[in-house]
Order: sequence, then C-alpha cells, then structure tokens
Amino acid sequence: MRSVIFLLLCCNLLIPAHSASSGWQTAKHLQAELVSDYRQVTAGQQLQLALHFVPDPHWHTYWQNPGDSGLATSLSWQLPEGVTVGEIQWPTPQAIPIPPLMNYGFAGATVLLSDLSIAPDYAAGSINIQLQADWLVCEEVCIPAEAQFSLTLPVGDKAIAASEYAALFQQARQQLPQPLYASGRFDTSGGAFSATIELPQPLEINAFFVAAPELVDHAGAQQISLQGNQLLLQQPLNTYFSGVASQIELVLVTAKAAYTVQLQQAGPAAEILVTQGQQSDTALWLVLLMAAGGGLILNLMPCVFPVLSLKALSIAANSSKQAQQRRDALVYSAGVVLSFVALALLLILLRAAGEAVGWGFQLQNPYLVALLVYLLFALGLSLSGVVQFGLGLMNTGGGLTAAKGGKGSFFTGVLAVVVASPCTAPFMGSALGYAVSQSAPVALLVFAALGLGMALPFLLLAFVPGFAGLLPKPGAWMDTLKQWLAYPLYLSAVWLLWVYGRQAGVDAQALLLIGVVCIAAACWLWGRRQLAQAGTVSVALALLLLLLALALPYLAPSPQPRQALGPSHDNAQLSQAWSAAKLQQLRQQGKPVLVNMTADWCITCLVNERVALNTESSKAALALYDVTYLKGDWTLRDAAITEYLRLYQRDGVPLYVLYWPGQPPQVLPQILTPDTLQQTLQQLSRQP
Amino acid sequence: MKLRQLVLAASAALLSLGLSAAPQVGAPAPDFSVVDSKGVSHQLSDFAGKNVVLEWTNHDCPFVKKHYEGNMQALQAEMKAQDVVWLSVISSAPGKQGHVSGTKADELTASRSAMPTAVVFDESGTVGKAYDAKTTPHMYVIDKAGVLQYMGGIDSIPSAKVADIAKATPYFANAAKAVLNGETPNPAITKPYGCSVKY
Repeated sequence: MRSVIFLLLCCNLLIPAHSASSGWQTAKHLQAELVSDYRQVTAGQQLQLALHFVPDPHWHTYWQNPGDSGLATSLSWQLPEGVTVGEIQWPTPQAIPIPPLMNYGFAGATVLLSDLSIAPDYAAGSINIQLQADWLVCEEVCIPAEAQFSLTLPVGDKAIAASEYAALFQQARQQLPQPLYASGRFDTSGGAFSATIELPQPLEINAFFVAAPELVDHAGAQQISLQGNQLLLQQPLNTYFSGVASQIELVLVTAKAAYTVQLQQAGPAAEILVTQGQQSDTALWLVLLMAAGGGLILNLMPCVFPVLSLKALSIAANSSKQAQQRRDALVYSAGVVLSFVALALLLILLRAAGEAVGWGFQLQNPYLVALLVYLLFALGLSLSGVVQFGLGLMNTGGGLTAAKGGKGSFFTGVLAVVVASPCTAPFMGSALGYAVSQSAPVALLVFAALGLGMALPFLLLAFVPGFAGLLPKPGAWMDTLKQWLAYPLYLSAVWLLWVYGRQAGVDAQALLLIGVVCIAAACWLWGRRQLAQAGTVSVALALLLLLLALALPYLAPSPQPRQALGPSHDNAQLSQAWSAAKLQQLRQQGKPVLVNMTADWCITCLVNERVALNTESSKAALALYDVTYLKGDWTLRDAAITEYLRLYQRDGVPLYVLYWPGQPPQVLPQILTPDTLQQTLQQLSRQP
Repeated sequence: MKLRQLVLAASAALLSLGLSAAPQVGAPAPDFSVVDSKGVSHQLSDFAGKNVVLEWTNHDCPFVKKHYEGNMQALQAEMKAQDVVWLSVISSAPGKQGHVSGTKADELTASRSAMPTAVVFDESGTVGKAYDAKTTPHMYVIDKAGVLQYMGGIDSIPSAKVADIAKATPYFANAAKAVLNGETPNPAITKPYGCSVKY
C-alpha cells in the first residue's frame, strides 16, 4: 500500500517536470509554446516537435520566404549528443498584402513542426531540448522577439504518445503542403520567373508561392496556365533578384489543398516562356460554343459558300419531302462532324508520332495544296455546268433512291470539310491548334463542335420549318446563281495556286497550271459523256488526263530552299530571317526584338503585315526604338518554328512577340491594328 | 475563339500597368524632388558631381533602431568625411509608423547623433515607389554621374539584433567604398531586409 502511495506521489511530481510541453512563453502580441507529440520517448525513435504560435488577432508571423519585408522565424536547437533535429516543416503560407508590397506568412495561430531523431544507442535517461526561437510578429508595425524554450522528455522502454496534443499535431500536419512528385523546371530569363511542371493529375491551381527569397516580384501578377497536365507559371522577377540556387521549392495552392514541388533550373538552352493570359480555365462549354460559332462562320468562306448554298437550295426545293430532308440533313451533319473528328485524329496521331506539325499542316505540303487547287477548280467547273458530280449537290431527291440520297449527303458533308480545310488554317489556325494541344478527348470534342456548328444551318433548315420558308422559291434563277457561284471557287483556286507557287517556285507552278488544264479537259470530256455525246474513248482519255494532272505536281522540281523574304515582301530591308540562335543572341545583347511568325497561306498574317507592320508609322517606330525585326516563315513545314510556336502555346500563325530587355516577352494580339506596335513599344520604353 | 484574344489584350493591359518604373543598377537613378525637415527643396540633379546615398528610414522600426545603435551614425560620419551626400528618406504616409514632422525629424537626428546631409519627406511614396524601396532600412548608392550603383540591404544578416551587425558582411558600406574608389560594387544588388515601408 505504501508503495502505491509512493508511486502516486512520484507520478504527481514527475508530471509537471516531464510534460510534453515547455509551457507558454508570453511575448508582445504573441504567445508561444514548444510541444512534443510523445510524453515519453525511446531510443531509435523519431518524433515531432511543434512550436505553437498564437499571435494576437490581426498579427502575423512569416514564412521561409517572408516576401518584400518581414523576417522568417528561425530556430536554433541545443540537443544532447545522439539527438538530431530536421528543418522547419513550413505550413502552407498566406499572401498578406500591404500595398504596394506583399508578404508571405501566417495570420493567426501557427504550428511549425520539426522532426526529432533519437539515435538507437541513445543511453541517457532523458532528453533535454533547448530551443531559441527568433521571430518577427507584425500587424502593420513589427515587433522582433526571441524566446528560450526548454523541454525534457524521459527516455523509456516504450514511447508514450502525448494524447492531449494529438489534435494539435494532426491539425498541424494537415496544414503542411503535400509533396507532389512532379518534375518541374524554372527559368529567370526575360525579366520573369517562369516555371513548367508536369502534374501527375490535373489540378486547378489558384496561386503559388516561391520559397526562394528575392526571386519573384511578390506583389506582381501571377500567370497560371494549365495545358493538359502541364502547368505553366509566371511572375515578374524581383527588382532585387541577383541569382538563385539550381533547385528551389514551390508551393502550389488549390481551393482545397496545397502541394510542394521541387523545381530544377532549366539549362540556358532550354528557356521556358510563358505568355501572358493563356488561361486554361476557360470553361469547356464556352470553348465548345465558340468552336460551334467558328463552324457556323465557315459556311461563309469563299471556298465553302458556293458548295453549301447549293445544298441549301436543294433542301428548299425539296421541302415537300420532310422526312427525307431531315434524314439528309442528319447524314450530312454526320459527314461533316466525322470528317472534322477524322482530321483532328490525324493531327493528334501525327503529333503523337513525334511529327512537328500544327494546324495548317494541310497547307504546308505542296502536293496537298495542288490537290486542293484541282478540287476547287473541278467544283467550279461543275458549277459552271461543264460537268455534273453525283454528290447530290443539286440533288432534288426526286430521281434518286433514298439510299443514294443518304450517301450523297454524307459525302457532301465530307466534301464541305475538305474544301473548308484550307480556309480554317488561315482564319482559325491558332484556335484549332490550341484545341489540338489540349488532351485528346477535349480536342476531338472541340472539332466535333466545330463540325456541328458548320452543319447547323442545314439542321435548322430541315427541322425548323420556318427557316426553310425563308429561302426564296426555287426557279430558273437557281441555275444562273449556280453559275455565278463558280467564280468564288475559281478565285479560291487561284489563291491556292499562288500559295503553291510561293512554296514550290514558278516552274512547279507552271506544271500545276498544266495539270489544271488537264483537269479542265477531263471534266469537259466527262461532261460530254454525261450528255451522251462522247464514247468510251473519251472516258479513258478523261481518266488519263486526271492521272496526268495528279502526277504533274510529283514531277515538279523540288522546292528551292526558300529565301525567308521573297520579292513579294515589300519590307525586305526591314526584317531579317528568324532563327532561334539569332533571337537568343539579340536578347543576350539586350536589344529589343520583334518576332513575326507568318505563312503565305495565312490571310490574317498578310492582312496584319499590310495594315499594321509594313506601314510607315510602324517602320518609324521600329527604327526609333532600334528594334530588330525577325520574321519566321511557316509556309512550309519547319520544326524549329513549330517548336517556337509551342513555347507560346500556339499551334499556328500568326504569332507576334515583342521582346523588351528586362521585361517578359509580350505577345501581341493576333489581329493587329495600325497602332498596336507603336503603342506597345511606347509602353515598354516608358521605364527608366 | 475571340475570347483568347480578349484575354490576351486584357492581360497585356495588366502587364502595362505593371510596368511601373523599376530602378536598375548601372542606369541613371530616377530623379526626384523632395522637401527636407527644414523646408528646403532638393532634387537629385542638384547633387550632380557628388556621390549620393539614399537611406529609407522609419525611426520606430526595430531594424532601423538596430542600426541606429551606432552603426548608421558611423557610416554617416564616414561618408560625410568623403563629401558624400546622405539623404535619409521617410516615405511613411501621414498617420503611419515613422511619419514625423520636420521638427521631430530634427530632434531625432540630434538625439541619435545622426549626421545625414538632410532628412527628406516622401509622404506620397512617389520617390519610394520610383526606387522600389521595400524596407527600412533600405540603401542606395548613386555615383557622381547620377548612375545607380547599389541597391539593397545594409548588410548580410537579416535580423533585428545589434549583435549580428559585427558578424554580417557590410554590403552597403562595401558598395559605398567601392563607388568612392571609382569601382563597381560587387554585389551591386542585395536583399533589402527590415520593416515594410509604411506607404
């Protein structure tokens, strides 16, 4: 009995001496205690210590990178031999703005965890832990303070958890950013901190915190963009940036969680560029809606409009047979949508196979351009009445069986997409390229939406009776209109002929023109056959001519190595040919540079150059600010340019980038106004 | 598909807003016009031909107090002996910590035995923002040609403890001496530390 009393006495005496807490220390505007998650420890054990800060309301302490001012809390330990302590495990920080400055820290109660390791051969009966903590606690004014904490833990045969602090430790661990096993690189060129991180899963990142001090402009705007699983980050560099370690820590914050990731500095050759405003969080439905809108507009393109207006008229003429009309419209839509999806698949597969292709690839191959010339020309001839193509373009449905009508409609859909494809490249190249650079399902959805948009007028005509009523009554005028509509097609063919000439040279262009004559003859012979005015020989001859026409572009002399600036560019003296090396060299010399990525088949590019770049005022602005103008030509496939475009998350031209020394590269809009260049240069130069 | 352009344009506008003047070492220091504690106006260009030190200060800031235990006064005396113009700049807005009247500023100078050429006021924060001054203390060295030669911290140990001054590398003092010798400071940019400037 006496021994029991003795034990109880012992315990009573021991508990205050060997508690898992150092007890509270009171400093100005802050209370602090040091706590262990075990009240008794054992040799070879690892445990955690927590420095628990409770500042007054509205007062804060600082993260490892305190931001523009402030001071990170620092801990200095005194431990017996055989006991070691790790670095502070920092909780996820908060941004604490004090305009125009920004601090990173912790408002309210904070727990700083550190791991303590006891050697397996630790023999003493207790461990005395001495901690000196230095901190700065601020509201708007700041109070530096330091305090000593002492904690003695008994060493026993088994470890006993300090259950009264279990909740505190659990909460503290939840405040830690989770390690994210992702590879990431960062770069500090061009006046900005840029990073690219391959996320293991898509995360909606709202903010990031760079742990390295004086690296980012803490109050500067953060650009966060997600391309598939690739996260791209950018923030302007700190004025006091003067170098950085080769590896830095970054904390990524989502609405619900936070992650920590280690970034390696990118080599000098592997510059990371993140452009402004590449927002990944545009809702998918909005992207799809815009794609559908783009598809709708495609119907008005000169290469598509003639073909489709005839289709529309045929539907109007057929308005009495509603069921068939509806089926026709559905089959036609399927043709359009499937063709677009097939094109997207082709592009995705080519890229998966490592080909440096972007949207517009269909115009970068001269042979494909030649085929499109033939196709548009033949369609034009068909509209001119030289020949009839059995694709149901003018199919009134009367004489054809239902099966034939359906097939015809489907292939009209396919044809519409094929003739539309050269038009999508110049007008929608980068938008579609953006779609392709997303995940495959998203890309396919976007292209499907584009197709649906393109087919929409026909679906409306077939399914909404009011629309069909809006069309004029069929009559003899339709034949006249048909013949008129041949001319936009001829003009489209001329445009592609010009593109072909730019790509392959004037000799090849002449050969292609011979091919065009062959097509004309073949169509004429075929047309006579249709009118039963010609025999089998004519058909054979027509086929031969067709084959000859197809063969001619093959026989064409291989394209000369293109000079970056042909005679058709009237700014030959103004710009130089782009190369990655030249750009890098100029930027290293600290010179302002304008990069223009263009292609001859890109109408937007040509219009921009005419209206906004090759103007007297723009030339004067370039001269005034001593800007070197580099022009890259993507008319033919060029892997280096494709790679450059991808740096800016682009997959098509035009792309205009202005480099101003000490500033992040600035991407100009795709549609330039006459003042864009001058104004941007003015803004950029308005610095000391 | 226009939205992307819209986003681009909007962010370009944001970027241009963010293009506030950032001081650059090796480039002309931003000129300014300020009034000192005695009501005298000063412009940076007035001091052409002289080396100029700018010291952002706030007498209530613990980091400033740390250096006014003697270190700052010693630096001021040393610079004064070399004919350097030393301007102590107070960017604290009215009502904020460190904002003082001219009389109070002179009292502080006297009571602390400080030796600046002048204590100048920047209530609006214009000068502070032009120099991207973030902390107190925050030091700048401008050479005789008006070129900014050094910007950053006073020394290498960010703490509020006087005892650390002796252990630290005196970045600012080294830079100022280099400029006096006609050399380029190395490092020319360091981390400023201290209280936030009370804009």
